[in-house]
Amino acid sequence: MTSHQAGFRTVSPRMFLTIGRAVALPFRRVSVLTALVLFLLLVVAAVATLSLGRLGIPLADLTGAVTGGAEGSHAFVLERLRGPRLVVAMGTGAALGLSGALFQSVTRNPLGSPDVIGLASGAGAGAAITALMFPDTVPVALGALLGAVLAMVLVYVSTGTGFRNPARLVIAGIGVAAIGTAVTQYVVYAMERDRAAVLTAYVNGSLSARSWDDATTIWLVLLIVAPLTALIARRLDIGEMGDDIAGALGSEPRNTKTIAIVLAIVLSAGAVGVAGPIAFISLTAPQIAKRITRVSGPHLLLSALTGALLLVIADLCAQQLPLFENLPVGIYTMAIGGVYLGWLLAREWRRGVL
Amino acid sequence: MATTTHAPPSGAGASRAGTARRVYSLVIAVVVLVLAVLASVMFGSRTTSFSDVLHVLAGTADPNVTTIVESRYPRTALGVLAGLCLAVAGTLMQGVTRNPLADPGLLGINAGASASIVAATAFLGASGSTDTMWWALPGALIAGLLVHAIGSAGSGSGLVRLVLAGAVLSAVLMAFIQAVTLSRPQVFDSYRYWVVGALGGRDFDVFLSVLPFAVVGLVMAAVLGPGLNTLALGDSTAASLGANPALVRAGGLLSATLLSAAATAAVGPIAFVGLAVPHVVRALVGVDFRVQILFSALAGPALLLLADVVGRVVMRPQELMVGVVTAFIGAPALLIAVRRMRGNA
Repeated sequence: MTSHQAGFRTVSPRMFLTIGRAVALPFRRVSVLTALVLFLLLVVAAVATLSLGRLGIPLADLTGAVTGGAEGSHAFVLERLRGPRLVVAMGTGAALGLSGALFQSVTRNPLGSPDVIGLASGAGAGAAITALMFPDTVPVALGALLGAVLAMVLVYVSTGTGFRNPARLVIAGIGVAAIGTAVTQYVVYAMERDRAAVLTAYVNGSLSARSWDDATTIWLVLLIVAPLTALIARRLDIGEMGDDIAGALGSEPRNTKTIAIVLAIVLSAGAVGVAGPIAFISLTAPQIAKRITRVSGPHLLLSALTGALLLVIADLCAQQLPLFENLPVGIYTMAIGGVYLGWLLAREWRRGVL
Repeated sequence: MATTTHAPPSGAGASRAGTARRVYSLVIAVVVLVLAVLASVMFGSRTTSFSDVLHVLAGTADPNVTTIVESRYPRTALGVLAGLCLAVAGTLMQGVTRNPLADPGLLGINAGASASIVAATAFLGASGSTDTMWWALPGALIAGLLVHAIGSAGSGSGLVRLVLAGAVLSAVLMAFIQAVTLSRPQVFDSYRYWVVGALGGRDFDVFLSVLPFAVVGLVMAAVLGPGLNTLALGDSTAASLGANPALVRAGGLLSATLLSAAATAAVGPIAFVGLAVPHVVRALVGVDFRVQILFSALAGPALLLLADVVGRVVMRPQELMVGVVTAFIGAPALLIAVRRMRGNA
């Protein structure tokens, strides 16, 4: 179940991008190429988000609109309706992908992602309690944030070994998730129907009606945390070889792990704060990144890009698929992520890893 | 949840508790169950006394009190049935899979029942608790069998694997459930009252309709007891003793799925009763499955009824649903169990 399977070939030599003595970012040519491709895909998805559908800005006008010449309905769509939503989707997806990459690198386990071990459920419970007890005084997002952090603390404490043992992690996650779900279900039961429906939509993770404030929040979190993860990137890379080797090479695996987990929780909590608990992005993004490049290492940048791409595509589905109207984006990520998780497990079982 | 690392039972005779101790335990279990039933008819938004209950049973109480006490009969009966089903199902599943985490709630049965009910309410116009109950059964059965098929495919059987298969199926079904309920307010309304898991607000019809499934499941469980004991010795030993491991395993899973589907259909998804009761029972009476099944059938109803009584009393005059109470009792127990796990489990 460890992430650095023997099957990953080294396809191109590893290089380090060094800035002074403190920063050394490991990278390979294949990673750089992948990053470029992902970025291009992200641009395509963004253009599609802005231009598809009834209110979409036609491709011909798009460049002008984005560079500042938007007028009338185009201005409304770009500045109120879809613009902020798109920017929030990118930031949230990137934050979730990066958070998942950090978690999975530390736990060396694809299932050691915050959304598998109860973070989403805790956030949901926090949001539900806030909505029930302090409906007008405390923002729901703050409740979700506190709930997410509390759930992670509970998991950490109850495993007794931190986040290292995968079996314990999954079981403790199930326990914490059960409490969170029970709380949320009770609140949804106790509220009147319309407010309960709004709460349910939030608890699934939604990007509808996001403002530029939300966009600022999540990108601020990213801008602060991303450089810090760059600082520990090399030590994480070494850490994936195992604690003993990492220790012998002179790094402090425990400290690195603690820092990485704290950063990952900050990222996840930020994402929960602006968009609610969106399922499965932090689980799938790092795994996809790993499978595209087929090299070892924590893949921080690639995971962030993949996460952003996944969430923008999921949100595009949420906005444009005619099957259901206005579903929260979290339902799409849950469906896609569930299928992906099943495929992932089937693969690992065939190889007898799990 | 007293024993946490579930070492494979080392044979029926090896760690047999003394007969006297079993008799005491049996008496205690019966007394606790009787007390739980009494508590369930006594407590509520309006508490009645023990003598009131006796008068009602004798037919000499005042009509108001009689109405109040009698209104608690259906939920008590449902509590007994559901608790019994869940606990026995948990014992069977843990015996068959040798997985101390096997619980209907974790294995996709709840999600299957929910998805089926939501689909029936949304697309086929089902409504009311009796109507939807019939739809919960096939959904629960299909989901349960599917998870077992996925989880036991290939070689070996991991502890995490079955649970993950359940999580995958649950995630996909949840996405479907949320998509339907959020786009149809009526469906959302009936779903949120069902999914929380409650004993109240259901009549005897629900009890009577699931009863046959429960009885079939229970009879199968009773028949399978000796087979499960030999299964615990390992497949090859079991085969040489004349048992058919594959048959016992299939029968056990079918019986467990029937039982938990019946319980879920009747009262909604209730977590942790099927997980916790077998652990407690195993710690008390040892590893003989015939004894375990008997004690689970006594302890399960007692636990569920007491949880329901707690739910009625803590937030008076409002009620906390039994599903919420069991989660709040069971989840911390699970977390403590994880802390005390040894090795990589």
